[in-house]
Amino acid sequence: MARPHIEPFVDRDADYKKMTLPGFGTGMHYKMLSFDTDTGACTMNVRFDSGYKRSPGFSHSEIEMFVLKGSLKFGKQTYIEGHYFVIPPGVFMPALSASKGAEVLLMYNGSEPSHTESDADHDGADRSRLAEVNSYSGMPWITPNIHPGTNTGCLMKILKFDERTHALSFLFVMAPEFWQDNISYHDCAEEVYHIWGTTWMMQFGYLPTGGYFWRPPYINHGAFHCKRGAIAFGRTDSELHNHFHFNPWSNVKENEERAVSRLQHRNPEVYKWALGHNHNHPDPADFEYPDDHSH
Amino acid sequence: MDKVGIKHKRDDKVKAWMKKETAEQKKRYQVIVAHMDAIASQRDKWVANFLKRIQKRGFNTDRDVFKIIKPEEIPIQPKRKFKVSF
Repeated sequence: MARPHIEPFVDRDADYKKMTLPGFGTGMHYKMLSFDTDTGACTMNVRFDSGYKRSPGFSHSEIEMFVLKGSLKFGKQTYIEGHYFVIPPGVFMPALSASKGAEVLLMYNGSEPSHTESDADHDGADRSRLAEVNSYSGMPWITPNIHPGTNTGCLMKILKFDERTHALSFLFVMAPEFWQDNISYHDCAEEVYHIWGTTWMMQFGYLPTGGYFWRPPYINHGAFHCKRGAIAFGRTDSELHNHFHFNPWSNVKENEERAVSRLQHRNPEVYKWALGHNHNHPDPADFEYPDDHSH
Repeated sequence: MDKVGIKHKRDDKVKAWMKKETAEQKKRYQVIVAHMDAIASQRDKWVANFLKRIQKRGFNTDRDVFKIIKPEEIPIQPKRKFKVSF
């Protein structure tokens, strides 16, 4: 069933658990935020105890990591609050250490958490996709260039953009007294973790610091309000399109059908092609990605 | 290998860990659904206020563009249960 709809969840309400999976050593604790029950892909709040050390190595899964508190090292390089990483599967990283402890958001995107000790990349690993940036000091806030878009007072930093799926990882802030009177849903799953601050959504109520959601596609959320400001980390698994409306009671099936109707009018040629009997198959070829095509 | 993962076999310890996490996620989902049901009357008030605001101040169509919604455009609540968790 992939990841269930977890909204809202506040990690302050949960205790850390010891990480007992092989390869992670002792001194790593986690709060599971959401978990894909088929693949083991997951998002966790992780605490590394003071003095935590892990051997060099790689994961079977793509990893994203965001440093919430404290600092950690890969090898001799120190990374502090706000640092964000994308580590492709099979790409080895130097030894990890957290001499004074750290708290991170840790996301395994393809499978369950894993760590294989190694000082070399796995065969076929794509090191060119390894990326890291300090999102707090190394990037400017931008007005989201998504149409239709959020009101003035919501700003973003795009940390990761997948050029094929348009999936995003991002930081966002809401200014004090941000208010937006519409209901939204998306064609993508959406995930948010509140680093600091409280926001309100009409369906789910107040989400404070440590608040989290994993929301599958087509689920209504909004209106939106943020009284004192908030900063959060978010992700989507494909393009973030805002389907705004004002029907509080529409359900997932109705929202999905409306999205297709809107596609029919917004992108009629693609819609007609997808429905065409002569080439209506579920896996159209993309000449830029020949290996992904199963026919 | 694909973009997000390397195919691998899971040993029994990993399978047991996944089984436990799966059970906890399912339990958490049920707790959330119960919590969302518990705040239904508060949500109804929030919805009523929202429907008033979009008729007075307006509905945000795109960024800071507002459209005043006419009374006859306000949707009628269906008789089915008002669900917010899916």
